[in-house]
Order: sequence, then C-alpha cells, then structure tokens
Amino acid sequence: MELDRSLISGSIPLLVMKLLEAGDLYGYQMIEELRRRSDDTFHLKAGTLYPLLHGLEEKGYVTAYEGEAAAGKPRRYYHLTAQGRDALREKEAAWNQYARAVGRVLKGGTCCAGA
Amino acid sequence: MPERKTIQDYLQAVGEQIRWKRARPVVLWELERHLEDQRDAFAAEGRENPEELAVAEMGDPVSVGAELDLLHRPRPQWGLLALTILLAAAGAFLRFWLTRDFSIYFAEKLSHVVGGFVLGCLALLCGYFLDVGRLGRYPGLAYLGTLAASVVSLAVFPNTNGVSYYTRYVSLCFPVVYALWLYGCRGKGWKGQAFAILGGVPLAVVCMEIPHAFGLLLLLTAGFVMMLLAAAWDWFGIGRWKSLLLPAAAAAGVLAAAIDNVHSSGYLAARLEAAFHPETDPLGAGWTSIMIKKVLEISRWLGEGDLGGGSVESFEMMVPDCDQSALLTTLIYRMGWLPFLLVAVALAVLVVWLLCRCVRQKSKLGRLVALAVGMTLLGEALCSVAWNLGFAFLAAEFPLVTGNLHTVLAMGLIGLALSVFRGDSIARETRGRAVHLPRVRLRISLERIEQ
Repeated sequence: MELDRSLISGSIPLLVMKLLEAGDLYGYQMIEELRRRSDDTFHLKAGTLYPLLHGLEEKGYVTAYEGEAAAGKPRRYYHLTAQGRDALREKEAAWNQYARAVGRVLKGGTCCAGA
Repeated sequence: MPERKTIQDYLQAVGEQIRWKRARPVVLWELERHLEDQRDAFAAEGRENPEELAVAEMGDPVSVGAELDLLHRPRPQWGLLALTILLAAAGAFLRFWLTRDFSIYFAEKLSHVVGGFVLGCLALLCGYFLDVGRLGRYPGLAYLGTLAASVVSLAVFPNTNGVSYYTRYVSLCFPVVYALWLYGCRGKGWKGQAFAILGGVPLAVVCMEIPHAFGLLLLLTAGFVMMLLAAAWDWFGIGRWKSLLLPAAAAAGVLAAAIDNVHSSGYLAARLEAAFHPETDPLGAGWTSIMIKKVLEISRWLGEGDLGGGSVESFEMMVPDCDQSALLTTLIYRMGWLPFLLVAVALAVLVVWLLCRCVRQKSKLGRLVALAVGMTLLGEALCSVAWNLGFAFLAAEFPLVTGNLHTVLAMGLIGLALSVFRGDSIARETRGRAVHLPRVRLRISLERIEQ
C-alpha cells in the first residue's frame, strides 16, 4: 500500500533531525538510513531533502562541514546543534500528542475508549 | 518539459533556477556528489542506465532549483552600509570644516575631501561585492601581494620625518592578510602552525621599517587572537591544547623582547613615561599630552573653546598634528564635546555591530576576516581617542574621520567585512578545493561515417 504523501510531508524535518541525533550524516546516507529504518516505507527524494537541510541550517538547527566519506571522497556532513536538539524534542512531543489524538479519534474518541 | 538524462543536464536545469550566480557552484557541488553516489549504487546493483535512473530519483529540477533559490539569496547589509556612508560623510565634512582656516597645518581642500569620500564609497562597494571565499582560495597570493606592495611602497615613496606614511596605510591591511594566511595553513599539522606564525614575521618587520608602532601592536594582538581561535577550532589538526604551545611560546618571546627593549633602548620607556607622566618632560615627549589636556580644559559642550583671545594660529601652534592624529582634539575645541561624543558613539555602534555579526558567521574564514577588520577599527578608534584625551602613546587615525586616504582604506575594509555577512548563506569550508562549474561547456561528439 502506497502512503499518502501529504501524511509524510509535515514530518520530514522531524525524521531528518531524528536521524542526525545519532550522529553526523551526509545527504545520501540520510536517504538510505531513512529507507532502512522505515522498512522501505519512507523513500525521500534528494530534491526534497537538500532544500530542507539548507533550511534547517539557516535556522541554526544543523551545521554542515566537509568530511571524507568512503575512499576519501569529500562529502558535506550535517551535525545537529544544541538548538536543533531542543527543536527536535519539541517536535517529537508535538508529534506524539498528534499521533495519540489521531489514534483516539480513529478508535472512536475518548468517551468510547475502553468501551 | 525536456527530459534530463545526464547529471550535467540535471545540474544545469537546477542552476538555471538559482538567480545568485555565486550560490550556484556551491549548491550544485553537493547535488552532484549525491547524484554520483546514487549512480554508483545503481551500477553496483547491475541496473541499466544508472545515471538516468539517478537523475530520475532526484525529483523535478525546476522545483528543486526554485526552492534552493529562495534559500540562497544575498543578504543585503543596508543598515551597516548606510551607517558607514553616513559616518564617512560626517567625517568628510568635519575634515573640511575644522581645518578650513589652518595656515600652519594642512587646510583640506573641498575637492580633496569630496574626492576622498567618493573614492571611499567606491572602495566600500568593491569590498562589498568581493568574494572573501575566493580570496581564501589564494591565501599565499594575497599574502605575498600585500608584502610586495608594502616593500615597494617602502622603497618608492619618500619618507616624511623618518616615517614612510603611505606604507602605514598598507600595514593596516596586515591583520586581514594574516587571517587569510592563517586560513591557508590549516590542516597541515605542526608544520602548518609554524608557517602560520612565521608568516607574521615579515609583516612585523615591515611595521618596524616604516616605523609604525600602532601597526605592529595591532598585528601582534590580532595575530595572537586569531591564532587562539585557530587553536580552539583545531585548525592544524594537532589537538586544541597542543595548538596553544607554539603561539604561547611566540607571545612570550615577543613580550620578553618588548620588556628588554624598554630597559635597554630607553626610547620605549621614555614614551611610556611621557604618556603616563607628561609633566616629567613638558617641553619634550610630554608636550603633546600637556597641550591636548590644556585645550580640553577650555573646551565647551557645544561651540568653540576660548583660548583667552587666541587665534586659530595659536591653537595650531599649541597642538601638534591637529589636522591628523589630534583632529579629534580640534573637533572638541572648535565644535565642542557633544559633536565629539556623537561621532565616537556612532563609530562604537558600527564596530560593535560588526563584531556582533562576526560572531554569528557560519564560515570560519569569514569570521576571521570580519574579526580582523573589527579589531583594526576598534584598535584605531581606542588609540585615537586615548591620544586625543591626553594619553599620547600610540598615534592612530580615527576611522572614517581622519585623513582622506585613510578613510578610503577604512571603507574598503568595512566593505570586505560586509561582503562576509552578505554571502553567509553560501559560506562553505572547502578544505582548499576550488568550487566552480565551467561557465561554458563544450560538447564534442564523434561519429563514424561509413563509406
């Protein structure tokens, strides 16, 4: 079953920042890692990822530096800043609240939970 | 929509949407590396036309380019530009007005003052549109070019009172040039750090040859601060704490040499004594301080001071260099303390604004260059104000107010700092790699013609 894109689009910054929480990555690695962690559910286009990363850099949530990837190839790595970690915590909390609310509605509402 | 099959076609389509030309190569470099990774991955899986598949994975180049275009726009520095021009215009007016009836010292001609202001604005714009990242790719060239210019200036231009005045102006660029030199030495271990320190020696020698005590002190102070920053960023790759060893040793050596000079030559000791206790040599080294203090005592909050029936000539006789290093004293005497405070506060706002913006820069090279400019302006302003308040130790021009040529130089330096802020969204540390795409691409195809 293919996911509705509008369901994913709002959560992409959260997912990308969550990936960076564990360590610094470059763009291609992020797409592969996201695909692997989501069992091939999230297939992020590079054309979506890079404007998003540059936007996060603009806001100060991530910083970028040039590092060496496999075989000494230079790549642009992204690092989650302290400000980015704070923003990630807020986004995670908001997402959890949203997911719980959707779940409750889908199950019939708070009044009917457990009925 | 035309079909994009090759990586270069795709990048060209994205690049066409990015209006700021300087941003294109920087942004496209990252996309190109991604496309190469994706192409290699498809090729490793044994898929056909891996490059075409990689391009298809990227998404629509027009919408990607349009989004990147919105993110990477130059950031105009209207506020700082306006403040610089306003202060330079005020400085030009003051230079003309304060010296209009001088007969002993140089009375500025209106045409010279206006010419200096116009050239200063051009220098400001030249610096503003200059790409500091490009300068950072040729640090050795910038360094050797400036060194050569100062040596030529020392040899060609005549000395006045034993001082090579034009070379003094070149020496004010040394902190910026040293920032570029330091940037060029990064990532090269102990050897790089030793080269970074040794690079300061010829510049210091030029300052001593001029001679320009303020230029030397500025170079040593700015160089040491920048070296500490380089150590904090571990630029040489030898560890943060180890990076402090050589600069600390060099600083200790310079300090020991200065102390030895104070004790052995007597000249520096006499200068210090005259600055702190001018009354000990009232007709010699202490003369300037004593006269400045006398003038300040009879100055008013607003309006010309009263020398007790004295004319402009008597003021000129009293205060040495009242058209240059003591121009602020002339300002206080002829117009009052309030105009002086306004000028000083305006420059303080400009320098603090520059330094605050400098701290927020993404690019470390940009941060160093802006810091070098900020320290140059701050050092000049502090020494000039101290001199004009009676602490006559180091003579320096007050930025944007003293001297036509000096104003042109100061505006050029400020323009350079503003160009750092303007291009911050595309600032990148590229480890010496040139980031560029060819402006013109030639496509050559060979066809075999069957006879």
